[in-house]
Order: sequence, then C-alpha cells, then structure tokens
Amino acid sequence: MKSSRRWSNIIKPVLAVSSLIAVAGCAKDAPQDTWQPAGPNAKMIDDLQRPIFYIAGIVGVIVFAAVAWAIFRFRDRGQAMPEQTHGKPALEITLTVIPVLILIGVGVPTVGTIFDLAKTDDTEMTINVTGQQWWWEYDYPAVGDNAEVYGISDPIVTSGQLVIPEDTKVLLRVTSRDVIHSYWIPKLNGKKDSVPGRVHLLRMEGSEPGIYAGQCTEFCGLSHAYMRMEAVVLSKADYATWVANQLEAYNSPSADNVLAVEGEKLFLQQCARCHQVNGLLNADGTPNVAAPDQYVVSGAAPNLTNLMTRNTFAGASWDLLTPECRDDVWNATPAEFGEKYLAGVSEDCLNQKDLREWLRNAPEKKPMYADPTKLTETGGKYRGMPALGLTEDQISALVAYLLELK
Amino acid sequence: MITTGSKFLYGLGSATSIAAILWFIANDGGSIGVVSLAFLAVALFFMGAIASFVRDGHVLSTDTDAHASSNAAQRNVGRSWFPVGTAFSAGMVAVGLVSSPGIFKVGICLLFAMLGQWLIKNWSDRASSDAAYNEKVRAWVVHPLEIPVGGAIVLAIIVLSFSRIMLSLSKESGLIVFSVMAALVLTFGSMVSVRRGASRRVIGAVAGVVLVALSGTGIAFALDGERHELVEAAAEDHFAHRACGEEAEETDEDAARSVSAKSSVAATVILRDGRLFAEMDGWNGELTSITLQRSNPSTILFVNEDDHEHRMVVEYGKIVEDLGGGVSKDTVLEACTSLITKGGTQAVSIVIPKPSFASEEPYSITVPGVEGASIEIQVP
Repeated sequence: MKSSRRWSNIIKPVLAVSSLIAVAGCAKDAPQDTWQPAGPNAKMIDDLQRPIFYIAGIVGVIVFAAVAWAIFRFRDRGQAMPEQTHGKPALEITLTVIPVLILIGVGVPTVGTIFDLAKTDDTEMTINVTGQQWWWEYDYPAVGDNAEVYGISDPIVTSGQLVIPEDTKVLLRVTSRDVIHSYWIPKLNGKKDSVPGRVHLLRMEGSEPGIYAGQCTEFCGLSHAYMRMEAVVLSKADYATWVANQLEAYNSPSADNVLAVEGEKLFLQQCARCHQVNGLLNADGTPNVAAPDQYVVSGAAPNLTNLMTRNTFAGASWDLLTPECRDDVWNATPAEFGEKYLAGVSEDCLNQKDLREWLRNAPEKKPMYADPTKLTETGGKYRGMPALGLTEDQISALVAYLLELK
Repeated sequence: MITTGSKFLYGLGSATSIAAILWFIANDGGSIGVVSLAFLAVALFFMGAIASFVRDGHVLSTDTDAHASSNAAQRNVGRSWFPVGTAFSAGMVAVGLVSSPGIFKVGICLLFAMLGQWLIKNWSDRASSDAAYNEKVRAWVVHPLEIPVGGAIVLAIIVLSFSRIMLSLSKESGLIVFSVMAALVLTFGSMVSVRRGASRRVIGAVAGVVLVALSGTGIAFALDGERHELVEAAAEDHFAHRACGEEAEETDEDAARSVSAKSSVAATVILRDGRLFAEMDGWNGELTSITLQRSNPSTILFVNEDDHEHRMVVEYGKIVEDLGGGVSKDTVLEACTSLITKGGTQAVSIVIPKPSFASEEPYSITVPGVEGASIEIQVP
C-alpha cells in the first residue's frame, strides 16, 4: 500500500512535466522555429543538428537509464559494504574511447559546416545590416553586383524588414552603432553578433518567397525584447519590382489630400530632424537631410522613405497591417506572396491603432530612456523616439502623410 | 586642563572650522560643505571636551590630585624630524610662489603632510609613558594613510623614471634595455619564489638599491632630454595634428578610442602601379567604389606599394557655417594618413554622419600627386 502511494507520488509529476513538453511541441504559430529551415544555410545547420540531437538523445537515455538502474539495483537494503577496489583499466579505456569516438563523429561534420557557413567568395549580393538600440537598419549599396545585376542604381535604406531575392546567396555585413546586438533569422541561418566597430559577415538565402521572423539575441538594453526583425524573400521578378519601387522619385502628397499635405509640413517640423525621407524638400526647396547624429545616441533613426512598403514599424515590433491583412500576407502561398507583399499598406489595411499610439507617446509603447529630464549622461541625446506631444489632429495629419510614403 | 588627547581633537576641530570658512569663501556660500564641516568641527570640539573632562580616560575627573601625575599629563616627546620636514615644505612653498606653480603645489601638499605627521607624533608621544605603545598608537592612526600613499609615490617614481628613460633612449635601444630589464625582474622574482628562505632584509635591500638606481637613471636621462625625433616633432608642432596640411607629418588626430574599431578594417586601400583600388570584406575583386556605414566608426587602411612616398586623403563633405551678414565659412571634412614610404601601411578612423547625397561633392579617397587615383565612398 505504502509502496504504491510512493510510486504514485513519483509518476504524477513525471507525467505532468512530460505532458507539458509534449503539448509545447504542438505549437502552430512558431515563426522562429529552428527545426523548420527555409534556406540552404539553415538547412546545413539543420542537417547537422538533427543527427547530433539524436546521438545526444541516445547517449542521454543510456546514461539516465544506467544511473537509474545503478540507483535501484544498489540501493541501500542494509547489505554489507561491498569490496572497495581502485582502477579497472579496461573499463576506463572503454569509457574514454567511446566518448572520444562520439565527439569525433560530431566534431568532423560540425567543423565542415562551420567552414561552409563562413564562405563569402560565392555570394551574389551584399547588404549592410546595422543594429542600434532597438532596431535594425538595412542599406543596399549601389556597388558591384548590387548595381550591375540587381539594378540598385542608388543606395536603398530601409529598416525592420530585410528584403532579398529568392535562391540568391546574400552576404550581410553586420555591425552595430552602439552596443552589442545579435542578428538571427532562425529559419534562414544561425545568429551573428553585431559589434560596434567591427563588421561580421553572415550568409543569408531563402528558398521560397515568404516572411521569416527573427529576434535580437544579445541582451542590448531596456527594449531588447522589442528589437525584432524580419527577412522577406521575394521571387527575382518581384524583387526587381521592389527595387524599382524603392528607387522611385519622391512625390509630395497631392493638393487634394489636404490632411496629408498638412502632415508633410508637420513631418518637416517635427520628424525630419531625425527621420530621412529621400527626396523630401525643405520649405526653401533644398533637399532635407536628417541629422539624427545630433539628437540620437546611436547617430541614426529609421529612414522612412517608402515606409508603407514595409509591414512593420518601430524595430519590427508592431505591424503596419491590421491583423486580417497581416495574416493574408503572412499566410499567402509562395506564388501569391510577392504580389500581396508588394501591394504595401493600403488605407483599409493600415493598423491605425498601434501607429497612432506610437505617434502619441512612443516611449510609453516601447521603453527607450526617452525622458528629456534624464539625458545628462548622453549629452542630451535620446536612445529612441521621444514623446512629441502631438495633438490628435496632428497625429491624424501625420498618419495621412505616412500613408503616402510608398 | 587640556589633555593630550583633547588637544588632538581640539586641533582637528580648529582645522575643520578653518576649512568650513575657506569652503564658504571659495564656494560663494555653498551650504552643504559648510554645514558638513561645521557639524564635524562641533563634533570634534565636543569629543575634545569629553576627553578633557575624563582626562583622556586615565583618571577620574574628580581625582584632581592625579591630574598632574597622569600619563596624559607627562611630556615624553621623542625625537622627530617632522619639524625639519615642515620647514623644508614651507621653504618649497615660498620658492614655488616665485618660481613655479608645480613646486608651490607640491610644497603645499608636503606642508600639510608634515604638519599632520607632526601633530599626530606629538599626540602619540603623550599617549602614555610607554614609548613602544606610543609608537604603536601612531602607527594605528597613520599607517592606513601612509602605506597606500607611500606605495603610490614609489609607483609614481618608477613610472616616471621608466618614462624618462624610454623617451630618452632610441627606439631600438629602448627595446633591448627594457627586454633585458623585464628578464632581470622575472629572474629575480623567480629566484625569490624558489628560494623560500631568502631574507626579507636582503630582498628589501635589493629592491631599494634598484629603486634608487632606477630613479637616479631616470633623473639623469630627464636632464639629458628626450631623443632627437621627439624634440624635433615638438619643435615642429607635429602634435598639433595638422594632419592634412601641406607640411603634415603626423596623423590620427581623430583616434576612434576603440580597440575593436582599430582591429576591424572596413576597407584596405592599395596604391599599386599608379592605380588606386580598395579591397573589402564581403566584396570580391578590386573596387573603385566602396560603401561605409553611416554614423559608424570605419577604419580605412592605406597600403602604399608605389616607389614614392604618398599619403591617402579621405574627404567626406563639408560643413558650411553661417557667420552672419551673408558670410559663410566652409570646412572640408577630411582625414588623412601621413606620408608613407613604399611598403608602408597606415590607418585612419572616421565616422561619417551624413549620407553621400547630403554632399554636393562626392565622398572620396584620393592620393595627392597620383593622377586619377580616386575611390568613391558611398554612404547610404
């Protein structure tokens, strides 16, 4: 009776924990799943980690079983102390040789994979990726094959979403403007630290059009959890369209759109000090050049040119699309994806709620050390967007203007 | 009667009161320091009064007969060289007043140190009739200050002597001398650690002799002056970093102060056979157009493979300053290496805050004197 109760006490928690683990495996919406590679680099990692996982699992089971058997078999039953011996060369050599062989079996393919993932001489396109608290900037230089093959005749600067052509070996030059961050799109490759003053190289390739989510994986301050990123893979034809869209000349809102015209003026007064919109002209007709280096610790703020061709804002933390429109894009088939992504954000699909909240009081939505009374340590510079004290009318005007940026 | 112990406390209280007044004058009536020091002075006077009342704890206050015969009332002052030190310091202060602010400041520090030591010595000499105990009492009070300060002074002497020797010796000789010295230190340290029975006195004596020899050599080399190149560089004002001027010899006035920035080269610019090109991680082949990330420290390494001396100049826009009255001043933003001989390399670190399109002139890397040698810098 006593014995069965004891077994019951052990089995219940074991069953509970096992069930939880089993249930966790049923998660459907796991966009950062390392076990679902969507590109050759991630596939290489997957091909390595699966056998290693199986080997480690088998070793683990054997070790746990051996330990459990030893505990049970030799439990204290009041027997006499067994004979104490020292040294058993045959056993010791065996127990040394077996792990060595296992480690060699694991080590050889691991080293091979590391070298394959570090190759840079076969890449076809290069993109600069710069991390800062708490967002990622992507710039596509108009240099070499970028210009000659992919039509990037002028540099393109975006943020939040990395856009790359499918089946193209892209090389990311990853660095940081302030603290150490780490760039990771689990379905496309492993992670790479972005370190101030250093450029680290990371291969990236997607085999199928779609959006792949990622997350900064090096604790980088207050809003580390809000430092997200997404890689968008487009077919080559769609990518050419995307490049052409990005390079289109800026057009001010038409005079009919009174609210957007007002928003443009307000943008120049309030936002253009930090945020660049390529082609935007000052009141005197000169090109507006943002100067985030004067106001922000990292020296940079997201370039908002063609903002509404992206799906996210504020470090990819919030969607520019309503949940329905977002699902429509995210769940699109590879064949339909490009068209849906390139449609950008329409008025009907704009996630007004989060965007308005952001414009109303950005630091409340995403903590960013943005209290102007506590900026002595940074020489008066912000680490993120401050609260601008906009009225609801001004927010409406800005939203109308931002909606035109595509 | 004012006992020895209370005298010390009254003395400290008086000094604190003077400090409070000086603070008040120096800080235009700043309240925190004055209040703190005044409270401290009051506390010290209060403790002095208690010490007086209890005759430093040696006799009962009511036992007036014992007052005259108590230990605290005995004069048992030992020999002290602090009055000499005080006089010497006062002399330094006087000399410093008419000659050099440095001597004056050192004199002031020394004067206060000597006065403090003298005060404590006098006090401890009256602590009891036992000279050994008195010395122990003095040590309790001053050693927590004396030992670290003494250590810092010895360290400063060593560092200063080393620096004088290094600045005086030629680069080649300096390398040899300091390699030998490092080896000797290592050998001596190893011997001491191996021979556990080594006498402390012998080790101390050796260390003392080395210290004296080192400081003597340092003084000798300081008097001899710095080596020729440094004297010439100072005379020609190289340290003013006129890096990109016609007479430029030096560079690196905008050091990134970042080890990682120095160790990670964004681009290597090579001058070979009259051609200027760049190599960058992430780009294959010889580049005549490179990209640097905005608002980010970038280190560019220049390699001169040409027969003649050349320097690399990086230009990244200009700042137009409005001086008023329709007058403006243009400042070209540039950085450059010094003249590099064949086979030489040198790096410059720059941070470019504005994108290329913000400048009417393209950002570029050039080598003056080599026609057509230019690399475009693209800053997205």
